[in-house]
Amino acid sequence: MRLVSRFTSVGVLGLVAGIGLAACSDSAPNRPAAKTSAVTAVTQYAGTPARVRRMTPDQYTNTISYVFGDDLSIGEPFAPLPRTDGLLASGASSAGMTAGELQQLQRSASQIAAQVVDKGNPGERTSPRRDFLVPCKPAALDAVDDACAAKFIKQTGRLLYRHTLSDATVTDLVGSARKGATELKDFYAGLATVIEGMLIDPGVLLITDTAESDPNHPGKKRLTAYALASRLSFFLWDAAPDDALLKAAESGALYTKKGRAAAVDAMIASPRLAAGVRAFFDDMFGFEEFVITAKDPKTYPMITGQTLVDAREQTLRTVTDHLITRRGDYRDLFLTRNTFISPTLAPVYGVPSTTGWSPYEFPADAHRAGILSQISFLALHSHPARSSATKRGKALRELLLCQRVPPPPPNVDFSAVENPDPTLRTARERLTRHSINPVCAGCHKITDPIGLALETFDGAGRYREAEKGVKLDTSGSLDGKTFNSSEGLGQALHDHPQLASCLVKRVYSFGTGGPLSAADTPAVEALSTAFAQTGYKVPDLLRMIALSDAFAEVVEIPPAPAKSAAAGQHQVAQ
Amino acid sequence: MKQNLARAFSVCALGATLAVGGAASADDTIVNNVRDRSIAYAVSGGHWGIYQTGDGKAECPDGLNDVGPRETFKMLFPDDGTKRSVVDTQLAREAAIWAPEDKEYKFPYHLAGGKVGLGLNLDGKVGPNDFTTPDGEKGIDNQLFRAMGCLRWLRGPDGIGYHFSDLYMKQFNYNRALIELTNVDSLADDPDVDVTIYRGLDSLMADATGAKTMPGGTQRIDAKFGQKFITHLKGKIVAGVLTTEPVKEMYWPFAWFGGNPGAQHILDMRMKLKLTQEAANGFIGGYENLEEWYYGLARGRSTHHLAYGSVSAPGVYQAIHKLADAYPDASGKNTAISMAWGTDLTQVFIQRRPQEVAAAPASAPSKSEPAGGRH
Repeated sequence: MRLVSRFTSVGVLGLVAGIGLAACSDSAPNRPAAKTSAVTAVTQYAGTPARVRRMTPDQYTNTISYVFGDDLSIGEPFAPLPRTDGLLASGASSAGMTAGELQQLQRSASQIAAQVVDKGNPGERTSPRRDFLVPCKPAALDAVDDACAAKFIKQTGRLLYRHTLSDATVTDLVGSARKGATELKDFYAGLATVIEGMLIDPGVLLITDTAESDPNHPGKKRLTAYALASRLSFFLWDAAPDDALLKAAESGALYTKKGRAAAVDAMIASPRLAAGVRAFFDDMFGFEEFVITAKDPKTYPMITGQTLVDAREQTLRTVTDHLITRRGDYRDLFLTRNTFISPTLAPVYGVPSTTGWSPYEFPADAHRAGILSQISFLALHSHPARSSATKRGKALRELLLCQRVPPPPPNVDFSAVENPDPTLRTARERLTRHSINPVCAGCHKITDPIGLALETFDGAGRYREAEKGVKLDTSGSLDGKTFNSSEGLGQALHDHPQLASCLVKRVYSFGTGGPLSAADTPAVEALSTAFAQTGYKVPDLLRMIALSDAFAEVVEIPPAPAKSAAAGQHQVAQ
Repeated sequence: MKQNLARAFSVCALGATLAVGGAASADDTIVNNVRDRSIAYAVSGGHWGIYQTGDGKAECPDGLNDVGPRETFKMLFPDDGTKRSVVDTQLAREAAIWAPEDKEYKFPYHLAGGKVGLGLNLDGKVGPNDFTTPDGEKGIDNQLFRAMGCLRWLRGPDGIGYHFSDLYMKQFNYNRALIELTNVDSLADDPDVDVTIYRGLDSLMADATGAKTMPGGTQRIDAKFGQKFITHLKGKIVAGVLTTEPVKEMYWPFAWFGGNPGAQHILDMRMKLKLTQEAANGFIGGYENLEEWYYGLARGRSTHHLAYGSVSAPGVYQAIHKLADAYPDASGKNTAISMAWGTDLTQVFIQRRPQEVAAAPASAPSKSEPAGGRH
């Protein structure tokens, strides 16, 4: 099929960030005169490189659900993305696609197309989707109807390609529909070939930051209105723009302060914001690891496959409830006792549940405060049959503080851990051995004092006060702040200056579609300051980023990717 | 919504927990499922109180029964060329199940013997026909064991009746009996606790091995159609074993087979259960009315099912009537037989709807309820 070849010509070669699309910027980023107003300050920074990103699996699914309904079976069209600079979303700007993946994608597209034009089956109580997804009836089922095909293609194509289709494109696609209908003697079958083609078209699958000259800032570039609409929508909703946002792009409203603010406010007020926030935190927390996480059923019989699915969901529900519904302080995510419980999680927490999900507040003496004490963090960063203070400490630093813990040296001797001395009964006793070995000590001293505070939770996330009969010592420190319990660790993390700034970096990367560079530092710093001024309210942070000049302006790709502090990575002090 | 949930859980979830019941499990996690002086368990397995030795010779000196429906049919109607009608053969045998003759059974049927048996001492006496438990408790009344103990069908772990009874306790929500203990000060020793039996509504959760039921699930009470199952008892806990006083009668949810929900109607019923934070197991003892019990068996299990364990229903009918030991009628003939039902229960939380909270047998406040519990 011709559309496949169009895709492969771009896709298989690899989607390197900014290929041929980087706009030139002939001026240095503006610096704010004063950081008096959070929003005005950050809007003065410009900008980000133009990128080409592959849609993430969730973005594809959410887009298909918006355009065709959420009852379609979509399958698994994409392979996982590479994690880059702390986010899978950033990996989308440097992801390639193999021929095998393309075949997988085409299979999925074919299934979706068939469902869109499904005529329904009264016996199986399936509805004829074609009746409400195709906005017209063909003159005859077994013949060509260019007018009806054009109507559908214009309407659906605009949503999938995220811009109004040119007349030439519509004519081209109607021709494909005609050819298919003629050969297959079925109008809807012809339409299905066009749908399938659109769903694997690079123009649909790749989010392209097209740029144009900015008339308000001579010599600068800005995203085109459609590209800006896409960036906003994938950022806030994790899906392609809806009709209203495309109209705002078409009318030029997104280029006015008032119009853009109205569009962003409407998106933030929409229930669809939850999808965007969930996608971001699922990415930031590294929850894709749940797919390959399993627990030893003999050691942890209460951890079933569904428990792990629910653990991931619990944290995402806690996050969206705390940050969006309650408009809570981001830092309080690590202190809150409010969460949600499902029947499979309840036995691990030792609390009752109702059918389905229900809100739950842990009692003050429950030792469960903040998402560090939830099963998702505790079980994900443990071994299959035991806890891991090191994994937990490493995850906390890397995922939540944007620090980098160096990997173990290649010649490290793991025997002390894998075949521990049986006389060493607690993790603290075993890990103390690492401090004897200077090769190990350098890294373990930056992870273990954190993780040991969580040793009151076993590898499944169940509460305990002793290990092998020895009372657990949960004292520790995080970058100079000491504590003696998991709740104390939560408080230390809450108070850590890098907690909020790390979030800002990650959100900014997520929104602008790629890893940070040195050029982003001023914007990120200003946003961090402004975020603090809002009381660490995440919806406000999203709004500030979405309304910032930096979000819409396009700059030249920096000469080399930053690996230093400027890129949001900090080597942990040894 | 949170308020509603809190109200619904007011009996069993929120509030202080009892440190006295808490215990560190083998893997050091802190388990304390006694909340607000209450703990509940849901049925997760069950089987008749059949004492078994490895080769069966001690309890079945005459051997196990091997003459069931197929065998009796062959004896009665040998394949000798005689022409017989379905009415005179298959249907006649089926009729014999539903209208068994109360006269000497003419096929071999072995009763259990020996002196060792499982169950409870129902009458407080030690009689000549009573059993002694393997750990030495005398006076055990369980004549149903004597009647049924040599049927392969009921012997674990592979007997068809044993296997499916246990499976159906887990699998069919209809069988979800709940036992709630209230006014509990200690799961180890408490001279006065209240016990209430309900029928629950919810499925059990299998653990990650797939072989065991996971403690910590939540059950709703069938307050609408389950009224006849609600039974209140008084009990005491000694060395971790709950023993209740008897009640006149109790209905225990019991679907012999999936499509045949019913109940064990147990007279003079009491229970003895070993309690832990995560499970309870032991025996329910009492007397089964002969006719009710027999027709429960006949309705619940077809000849097809019984044939897999060489169970001749008419033989069973004769045996239980012969061994009946209680509730004599006007003529002096006993109408009930002593029995023991082994039950396995797994700890659950009971979730009450707001309107049920007021009617619940709430525990009185404890004088001291230190905080604790598994979280």
